[in-house]
Amino acid sequence: MINTLIRSLPLNMAFFLLFSLQNAGAQQSVSNPLAPLDSSSIASLPQETYRSVVRIEVATQVPNYSEPWKAGRFSGGIGTGFLIGPNLFLTNAHVVSNARRLLITMHGAARKHPAKILHIAHDCDLALLEVDDFTPFTGLHHFPIGGIPKLESQVRVIGYPVGGNRISVTRGVVSRIDFNTYSHSRSDQHLVVQIDAAINPGNSGGPVLQDGKVVGVAFQGLRSADNTGYMIPTPVVRRFLTDIKDGRYDKYVDLGISDFPMFNPAMQKKFGLTPTSPGVLVAAVTPDGPCDGVLQKDDILTAINSNEVDAAGNILIDGEKVNMNEIVERKFSGDQVTLSIIRDGEAMNMTCTLKPFPPSQMYAVQYDVKPRYTTFAGLVLQPLDRNLYSAQNLTNTRVRRLFTHYLDEAIFKKRKDIVILTRVLSDPINTHLNGHVGTAIESINGVDVSSLQHAHELLHPEQLPEFFVIRCEGVERPIIIPGDQAEAASKRIENSYGITSAANLDQ
Amino acid sequence: MNTKYIFSVFQLSLLFVFSSCCDKNSCQNEKKSSKLTQQSIIDAASSDTSAVRQSLVRINSTIQIWSASQPWDKSAPKKRRALGALLEGNRVLTTAEMAADATYIELENADNTRIIPAKVVAIDYEANLALLEPDNGDTDSFFKDLKPLRLGSSAKIGDRVDVWQLEDNGMPIVTDAVIQSVDIVSSFANGHFFLTYEAKGSMQSASNSFTVPVIRNGKLLGLLSSYDSKDQIIDIIAPEIIQAFIADTSDGDYVGFPSLGIGISSTVDPNFRDWLKLSDDLGGLYVTKIRKDSAAQKAGLEKGDVIININDKAIGRRGYYTDQQYGRLYWSHLIRGSLKQGDTLELTILRGGEQKQIMATLTRPEEPLVARDTYDQAPVYLIKGGLIFQELTATYLKAFGKDWQAKAPLNLLDIMMTPEDYEKDRNKIVFLSAVIPTPATTGYERLRNFIINKVNGQTIADISTLIDAFKKPGTDGLHTIEFAEGPPRTIYLDASIADTVDTELLKRGIPALSRE
Repeated sequence: MINTLIRSLPLNMAFFLLFSLQNAGAQQSVSNPLAPLDSSSIASLPQETYRSVVRIEVATQVPNYSEPWKAGRFSGGIGTGFLIGPNLFLTNAHVVSNARRLLITMHGAARKHPAKILHIAHDCDLALLEVDDFTPFTGLHHFPIGGIPKLESQVRVIGYPVGGNRISVTRGVVSRIDFNTYSHSRSDQHLVVQIDAAINPGNSGGPVLQDGKVVGVAFQGLRSADNTGYMIPTPVVRRFLTDIKDGRYDKYVDLGISDFPMFNPAMQKKFGLTPTSPGVLVAAVTPDGPCDGVLQKDDILTAINSNEVDAAGNILIDGEKVNMNEIVERKFSGDQVTLSIIRDGEAMNMTCTLKPFPPSQMYAVQYDVKPRYTTFAGLVLQPLDRNLYSAQNLTNTRVRRLFTHYLDEAIFKKRKDIVILTRVLSDPINTHLNGHVGTAIESINGVDVSSLQHAHELLHPEQLPEFFVIRCEGVERPIIIPGDQAEAASKRIENSYGITSAANLDQ
Repeated sequence: MNTKYIFSVFQLSLLFVFSSCCDKNSCQNEKKSSKLTQQSIIDAASSDTSAVRQSLVRINSTIQIWSASQPWDKSAPKKRRALGALLEGNRVLTTAEMAADATYIELENADNTRIIPAKVVAIDYEANLALLEPDNGDTDSFFKDLKPLRLGSSAKIGDRVDVWQLEDNGMPIVTDAVIQSVDIVSSFANGHFFLTYEAKGSMQSASNSFTVPVIRNGKLLGLLSSYDSKDQIIDIIAPEIIQAFIADTSDGDYVGFPSLGIGISSTVDPNFRDWLKLSDDLGGLYVTKIRKDSAAQKAGLEKGDVIININDKAIGRRGYYTDQQYGRLYWSHLIRGSLKQGDTLELTILRGGEQKQIMATLTRPEEPLVARDTYDQAPVYLIKGGLIFQELTATYLKAFGKDWQAKAPLNLLDIMMTPEDYEKDRNKIVFLSAVIPTPATTGYERLRNFIINKVNGQTIADISTLIDAFKKPGTDGLHTIEFAEGPPRTIYLDASIADTVDTELLKRGIPALSRE
């Protein structure tokens, strides 16, 4: 599974990898799985509390984005979770993504308790589970949520990593606090705490403890380095728990700007700043994003909610320099932030109302959804998104460009979906097509295609045209399908290729 | 440049690519020489042997390509050896591969007793041919016991040919090969296809193996352009192409092979044919691209036309016509076989279901927005305060390695694929290729591959306009550099700091701050 994840990162984003949920097949003999803990710096936990760290056994069904009509791959793995309240088990979203069956096992017990997902947040890789019957868990310790641990302070990681079936405890120190990418969605960056404790596949979702409190959730590692484990710190956990209080998870909000550091002397001179002036350059504002109409390119952003922004775009929170987005990170949709800026030499305050920005989902890996597609005369059409990009080897320059600039060039305004011809299932009706697979559909019978739904409608009109003329971006020669033969060909192809459903247009 | 969305991370990946890219594309040809295995030695005492041996000249060349990332530098020199054919007038014919990007070429006789420096008379990267002559040496004594070869006429399938090699000791190795097929092949510069004989024969590896002459009836038939040791297939540049090349060199002004300037697609698909209203008795090539200022554009050919006949030769659905001598050949040979620049061509086309005649006068293609074959051309550049600007070439993109189409910067690749979207106000694409960390470029270290729109308010059409624009900084003492994309869209450079840095860079060994 690690390999699958790495292989499917086409954009050189493979700096991080998720831990595999699958336990290693070969069982090594572990002589002393529960070595006594040195209590000098970390308060030792009573044995009983281990029982609140549970093993999560997951059976998954992973959708198939290369042949979307198929049922997908049945697989599974092991992760860790822990009790934070009455029938509330916190774990990673990636542990329970695409799950078809969840079983929770208490430490030291054999019984498997069926569980289900209460809330799942893919953008911050957290999920809350509940078991069908909580009775056996009543009276167990509920882990309290603590703060951000200090650099160099010691922490302890508890979980069910590979190498055995029983609980495992490792410890280490906090080695870095940073803003970094969450590999589960691959498009989100939040606060991350790096620790040097051994974190291994199966640890995912387990608690990281300090002084008896949870200071993080173990969630990812770095393949290229030793002794670097990453945990989701408590500000992210708290935000998740707050967000779901209204009964649903609303996702993170974001300013939707690109900043550029104000390091260059000429740059400073141009904007009337000194080397010690606060403020970072607003290099671009995402069209239709929360700051569209509020900030402009070439504004100098000097403070967010009165927190001074330095020339690199960082602010000081709780004694740590972190990316300025951290302010917005803790906000919710509908919240307002005050942005202090200098525009054309004049200082002013602007108010930005944060809101979700659905087009950015283009870049986030989707889970728990069925792939959308439609088929027509052996042509398979799928909307471009991160999942498709990973599953198909999309090398066409135009497609890569549409993907990369989907937001900043406001392509989403005209094209809700970029519809890709992902496959041609050979049949006499399409046998001589070449050079079209892997390109974006531009128009069908002269009408520009705006979404998969739209493409589907254009391919199934009430009045059959003499020819369907399908134009692909960057390919001059159109695809021609005779109108009166299309339906018979579609039926024939569905039969021979075992396509049980010709289209799935809904998520 | 922190954005929460993923595109901010794209640029990071490029940082790693460049350091290792520059040597890769130069290696591709080297493999060929090692492919010459297997042997078949013919009796070296046969009657015409000594005569042919007197016409063979060893060629040693030292090749240096320019660095893509540091355009003021040449890469480490590499040696190539080959066997050329001596022609009338003390000229030696070889492939363009032997002379392209050559820093130094020398000729050596078969016995390794005499050496003379050589220079290029004419070179055609597209047809893979080069003509060399001595350069400042004792020409008379070098050629005193050598005899020129005469050019032979075309051969046919089934003809036997001799492939000549020389061992280090000067003994000839002659491989007997049989012409099996005739095709249109691209052997050096990508995308240029010329008539090529494919002969079956088992060759051995010998010292002069980059290219060797192929002889028939004591005359030069062609030059070996590649040998596939697995299939034992020898590709031979055909005599028609060599004759046209030599004829073109005769007036001292080499023009090159003409072109029509179109992109095409086959019309095999019956649905596509029905839509085009192409009847079954016709073949046809669908025109997908018309190059700017090309012969086709001037003749009024349009995208979507279907070419049915070229000079009364019917063009089939896949683009083949019936050649009197060779049988089925690809249509491009009708243009790049016997015709030259200025010749006219009659095309029968189908447009909107109606047949039409079009006369096209063949031309040499204009240099495209993104230059393709930049052999022997030093890359043009400008360094300003540590910012390195270059003109975009295909050579630059290909320097990203074997899978350059995946690794090269997306925005630059897009220009190469669809130059028509970028041609307005530009002769060339000028872009920021890299940044040398200097006091003037603090904070800009990670910027690269940005296309330049304007500098100090002036539109940038090529490197010359860029150099000119940097002479006029704003009244605030700053240079303003505007990119076509961002972020950031605009950066500034302190003019006086940049000038100081430039002086410093010269002191540190950069030979020149610009090349036009």
